[in-house]
Amino acid sequence: MQVVETFGRYLDQWSGPHPVRARRLLRLGWEAQNLKNKYLPDKRLIPADRDLAVIMMDAMLKPLQKPESSAIVSVFTPCEMLQEVGLNPYNVEAFSCYLSGSRCERGLLQQAENAGISETLCSYHKTFLGAAGKQLLPKPRCIVYTNLTCDANLLTFRRLAQRFQVPSFAIDVPMDQTPENVAYVAQQLEQLAKFLQECTGKTIDQEALRARLRRSRRTLEKFNQFQTARADRYLPTDLVTPLYSGMTNNILLGTEQVERYVDELLRDVAKAGPARGKRIYWMHTIPFWSDAVRQALVFNEGAQIVGCELSQVCEPDFDPEKPFEAMAWRMVYHCLNGSATRRIEAGIRHARQAGADGVVWFDHWGCKHTLGSAQLAKKKFEEAGLPLLILDGDGCDRSHGGEGQTSTRLGAFLEMLEEGGTTR
Amino acid sequence: MNTTYYVCKYTPIELLAAFGARCQNLNGMPQGFDRADQIAHANICGFGKSLIESVLEGNVKELVLVNCCDTIRTVSDLLHETGKLDFLYTVDMLHTGGECSRERTVAQLKALARAYGEYKGTQFDPAAFRAAFRPAPRLREPHISVLGARMGKELFEMVQKAMPYPVENETCVHNRSVGEVLPPETDDFDTLMEWYAAELLGQIPCMRMMDNTGRKRLFNDPNLKGIIYHTVKFCDFYSFEYAAVKQNLAVPLLKIESDYTLQSSGQLLTRLEAFAESMDMTRCEGKEKKMGKGYFAGIDSGSTSTDVVILDKEGKMVNGTILPTGAGAAVGAERALEEALKDAGLQREDIDAIVTTGYGRTAISDGDKSITEITCHARGAHYLDPTVRTVIDIGGQDSKVIRLDENGNVVNFVMNDKCAAGTGRFLEMMARTMEMSLDQMSQTGLKYKEDITISSMCTVFAESEVVSLIAQNKPTDDIVHGLNKAVASKTAALAKRVGGEERYMMTGGVSKNLGLVKTLEETLGTTLVVSDRAQLCGALGAALFAKDMVQQ
Ligand code: SF4
Ligand code: SF4
Ligand code: SF4
Repeated sequence: MQVVETFGRYLDQWSGPHPVRARRLLRLGWEAQNLKNKYLPDKRLIPADRDLAVIMMDAMLKPLQKPESSAIVSVFTPCEMLQEVGLNPYNVEAFSCYLSGSRCERGLLQQAENAGISETLCSYHKTFLGAAGKQLLPKPRCIVYTNLTCDANLLTFRRLAQRFQVPSFAIDVPMDQTPENVAYVAQQLEQLAKFLQECTGKTIDQEALRARLRRSRRTLEKFNQFQTARADRYLPTDLVTPLYSGMTNNILLGTEQVERYVDELLRDVAKAGPARGKRIYWMHTIPFWSDAVRQALVFNEGAQIVGCELSQVCEPDFDPEKPFEAMAWRMVYHCLNGSATRRIEAGIRHARQAGADGVVWFDHWGCKHTLGSAQLAKKKFEEAGLPLLILDGDGCDRSHGGEGQTSTRLGAFLEMLEEGGTTR
Repeated sequence: MNTTYYVCKYTPIELLAAFGARCQNLNGMPQGFDRADQIAHANICGFGKSLIESVLEGNVKELVLVNCCDTIRTVSDLLHETGKLDFLYTVDMLHTGGECSRERTVAQLKALARAYGEYKGTQFDPAAFRAAFRPAPRLREPHISVLGARMGKELFEMVQKAMPYPVENETCVHNRSVGEVLPPETDDFDTLMEWYAAELLGQIPCMRMMDNTGRKRLFNDPNLKGIIYHTVKFCDFYSFEYAAVKQNLAVPLLKIESDYTLQSSGQLLTRLEAFAESMDMTRCEGKEKKMGKGYFAGIDSGSTSTDVVILDKEGKMVNGTILPTGAGAAVGAERALEEALKDAGLQREDIDAIVTTGYGRTAISDGDKSITEITCHARGAHYLDPTVRTVIDIGGQDSKVIRLDENGNVVNFVMNDKCAAGTGRFLEMMARTMEMSLDQMSQTGLKYKEDITISSMCTVFAESEVVSLIAQNKPTDDIVHGLNKAVASKTAALAKRVGGEERYMMTGGVSKNLGLVKTLEETLGTTLVVSDRAQLCGALGAALFAKDMVQQ
């Protein structure tokens, strides 16, 4: 821990006045972490998830190593076409998590607030904006984003495009699930293909894109099978792994590594022992930094996380032979698109699928749609027989923590599940 | 007949009118959110909560929303769940204005028409449609614009009263421009909807549109004398625009934030009046008075202390008195003035003019004029040290940073009074937790060893952090230094926000806190001017204004 804190302190001191030095330090630090992930993985994790840590760190490092072939994206941007033109996803939410993991988020958040950005903006956005403002992050080739589930994106990415002076492309996703809306999004994705080709000078081969979407579909199907299979198995887990699958099923979807990863998951789950302890399905982001949550749920046979909303994309019912419609369908029918009720219903389905005993609805500070619908979610989940805990906190900004209250609330909830026996 | 309420400028109200609706913009500010807080989280924007509040009160039966933002979308779900509305519809408005979005918008208009027609049992009436187009009156003369996030009716009225020019509300739903052009002469529904979709989409875009370059116009009106930029707490859209424009505007700019309750707007009055004063210094002049004995008084009525300064006709300070405010501003002021007169050996008649300032300024009947503490602090600081360009005042209930020009006029200012962190109250509460007095606390923290960071900004959380540090047996000096750092970083952030410049002066009671002053100097990377009369700064400024009122 001490090492990370010192690392964070230097990042904080150097970003701004010495951007080149700070960037080099960031890259070196993360490369060192990656070596550790590769050669000294956390043996408590299942083999698939040990590899996952490497896949993620690789993905985070690429934009630092080759910013000119990276595109800043929001988490629900379909990335298959970017992969086709050789652009690496440079993801705002994931970067903020990793920066917070490197313990330098405070100065970055402050930087954004000093620039006049509201204090109540989601910390994933604010951390990244602050890092861009302090020149800790390199300039990308271009920016691609969508308002899907999060309208803060409209603002953050627009500001980033101005800041870096690079071309940007926005995908507007309407909230209703209709064929017309799929067509509307598909039209935009065709424009996106042109945009990406212009940005990179490469052409997107339609057949290769179809093959990629077939892979995306297979990956989601297999992930789905895995979530069903884990219902009566015990899989030890930490707090970042469920978040990582949120990343792999979105920005890395369509890559071979991620398909390999879900294959491995299926193998591991077949070998796993029977279910043990209380099983928690997690709605929204996870405060991986919180000791209170770690103590309650990490590598714990008594209670563990069995799935996270962010890794569920949609029912994989799209047709890969029509790639634009397929990606558009995925966005319009994304579990998080549209009304809160739709999101909650998907949550209930997925919690049941993974054999959850209880659900945590994580009220990430600044996430308006999550905060707004918390009470409604509690009502609906509990009507469906799934006890739900509303937990206030922040996935990225430690100052919104309140470790004491987190520990009490989570502890009491687990005790309550314990007393109720298996509410499954 | 029911009123159909709407909240967004993209709402097709002319279409609704064509089906017989009477539409009205829903924009009141409630007293509080007792009902809304029961079904929604406290941390969503106040407007969203005020919508819930109005519906739960039972006054609203028909509501047409637009999927403006995550908040409105969620509120729409929550309202649906209450079952209190006869008609609730959310138009899925796109975020782009191009050709293919026009098509989709036409489809959405038709879907709304179908739903509303069925609900009302009415048909589209082309004549009523046409009649609904009415241009809104616009100000052509010199004026002030309110920009940013929507502003509630009551707050806008307060702004109008405080400003020296007429005020135009250009926020959100208020700059709806549909109605300036009449629809084409046809009764064909499809043709009309094609045209109408383009009209709706062609308005000055708001911040939720993907392309909002069209907003430049709002800032470039030649008749614009000043801008009041309004944001709503927990709304993200508009702080971005504020951050982008604040550096390069040709007209004076004031940023205010409200949470959409009536209480919050009351607290904004000081800022509005200070802004009006900075735009038009003649407001501080007051009616001229005749010179008598040549003594002038300023009274600064704050929440904890009431300060009085008496000047003679040379502008020399003959007395400075600081007393606790006690029960009420008026009584406190009277007592402090009496005390000051006694000290100086003067009678009430010897004072030619009195100016009052501070939170209690308007409650004092004794004064000849009242001026905000912002303007007075600037004036006072300039008098104490003319090289000062930035004043940092950390008071008991609020903290403020004021930037001034070489003549002591206010150029820009910010205030924080919503959150205890970064104010004297924060230190007071922490001193209590550590079982020491404020005086003891101000001597502590200088000789710290470990550089502790208090990570929580919220006072309640910070308190529990302090408790656990005490439990860990951390030395008092280290903890106090950590607390000083927390306040210093909040304050430095405020200073950055106004573009603070050298030299800095610190005023207010907290300026006596040596540890904090030192930490703040480190955070800002400069030295602070701390005058021994720092605490009297506001009263001194007021006395100087009083002196101005009298012909010499
Ligand atoms: S946590 Fe919420 S507000 Fe933040 S990026 Fe995610 S969806 Fe947006
Ligand atoms: S911000 Fe724009 S979309 Fe939202 S309510 Fe106001 S005018 Fe409508
Ligand atoms: S004030 Fe902001 S958050 Fe609230 S409804 Fe309007 S745009 Fe949405």
